[in-house]
Amino acid sequence: MSSNVIVLDNGGSLIKAGQGGERDPAIIIPNCLYRPLSSKKFQNPTPLPSSTTSIIDAASEDLTSAAVRRPIDRGYLINPDLQRDIWAHLFSSLLHVSPSSTSLLLTEHLFTLPSIQRATDELVFEDFGFKALYVADPPSLVHLYEASRRPYGLVSKAQCSLVVDCGFSFTHAAPVFQNFTVNYAVKRIDLGGKALTNYLKELVSYRAVNVMDETFIMDDVKEKLCFVSLDVARDLQIARKRGRDNLLRCTYVLPDGVNHTKGFIKDPEEARRYTLTDGAPPRSAEAEKDMDLTGKSEERKRTDLTKNEFDLTNERFLVPEMIFQPADLGMNEAGLAECIVRAVNSCHPLLHPVLYESIILTGGSTLFPRFVERLERDLRPLVPDDYHVKITTQEDPILGVWRGGSLLASSPDFEGMCVTKSEYEEHGSARCRKRFFH
Amino acid sequence: MEPEVVEAELVLPTCLSFKKIQMHEKYPKGQSRGRQWKHLKQILQAENFQNGSPDEPNYINIESPPSMHPPMRICDMTGFEAPYSDPRTNLRYANTDVFKMVRSLPPEYVQRYLALRNAAVVLK
Repeated sequence: MSSNVIVLDNGGSLIKAGQGGERDPAIIIPNCLYRPLSSKKFQNPTPLPSSTTSIIDAASEDLTSAAVRRPIDRGYLINPDLQRDIWAHLFSSLLHVSPSSTSLLLTEHLFTLPSIQRATDELVFEDFGFKALYVADPPSLVHLYEASRRPYGLVSKAQCSLVVDCGFSFTHAAPVFQNFTVNYAVKRIDLGGKALTNYLKELVSYRAVNVMDETFIMDDVKEKLCFVSLDVARDLQIARKRGRDNLLRCTYVLPDGVNHTKGFIKDPEEARRYTLTDGAPPRSAEAEKDMDLTGKSEERKRTDLTKNEFDLTNERFLVPEMIFQPADLGMNEAGLAECIVRAVNSCHPLLHPVLYESIILTGGSTLFPRFVERLERDLRPLVPDDYHVKITTQEDPILGVWRGGSLLASSPDFEGMCVTKSEYEEHGSARCRKRFFH
Repeated sequence: MEPEVVEAELVLPTCLSFKKIQMHEKYPKGQSRGRQWKHLKQILQAENFQNGSPDEPNYINIESPPSMHPPMRICDMTGFEAPYSDPRTNLRYANTDVFKMVRSLPPEYVQRYLALRNAAVVLK
């Protein structure tokens, strides 16, 4: 039964797709069409190998200044025509399934607008003709996966958790109770990976090189160099220092199109030095000397003006800082910690202690180093003393939702929960949607 | 549909009774589709969430409310802590060197720097 269910986690940035019941999705592919400078047509991106999540590393061609078209804007599917092209490529040439004999489990963000749901149903049943459809929301799938992974943990015993999904388009803090998302308590911050990349793009363009068109390159910079600061005031002081004392400075070399078509970090050792800023014992003079000997030669230190490269210092932590303090940057929204507190406060008071103790982090933007520590530090002063705060991370935050979906698809009563094609043709979209209790 | 028709697997345009506009009417054959999609803002306006009850959760009212804490001031040019702000341009700056630069900027550049933190004056 589970053999012909396709689980499709249709994210704003990456599509995760595969057979239900398996552990990992068969295909991870960027949910966009791009047009490199060398080509005239928009083309389908290459699927990502399982080892990397960076789009630019997986692409076979040079993505410098590539134009992008995405079917999903701010988390919602607004361009069904484009999505149809991408799905058609995915189903026919990558997954090799025939929709008429397959069921589909699709993820859709919370509070998808009714007109978008209608367009999605139309796409699934009328364009592709799937046999059956089940629409799930990401937080409940994440909860399902985590509960099944630790059958004796708190999440599965209390049957409730607070899922914080910090993805590409936005961030949701959603309490889940008995596998259903508590609708009235969900809170959203309109900040995700895309906004962060755009902000980094702007900062670098204002301060160093104009990179406004280089979406994929800046994505790569963000993933490799940004980190979450545990103490912003102190890190800003460090970032002001000159020369070797500045532990945060790091240089990224842009592709030149001749010798290398992919950007890279000039000195990986230098990029990792930010870990020294907190709690580490002050380095002895000897260690310092060692670093000098093994460390860089003169030529590496000098900024080469013939190459396109830029230095990052405070940008490295000010960009992820947006999620925690959107007000610093002019957004009139509360940060992640306050958002979580408000989500919890709108639930029943008896649930508060359990929810604080079972916070699950998921989504690609939680992959910044030290994200959890920072969230814990921010959250602790806002939570009453007698409650514990415990934040769990998923072992692979990008795939967490898909794995939950795969688990659901392999459960014996999955077929019964679906809406079939004939039901859709008889009742229409709105009535079929009622079955999913969203 | 009648079972004979289904069995014969005739290719007929499907007619779904619940739809005002059928698929084959929306996309006639041989016509390019053009721009068929709307921006999220347009879709949101069409949904008329303002008229719904405020207790029912929807896209508009699950947005995280404004923070209760004062924001940190960050220099608009360099990104360091900014103890000062220029009353003439409203830009925040870290030290005197930056201040010189702030005063030498033409007004449209000032607006662009302000736009970085959503503080630009937008004339409508």
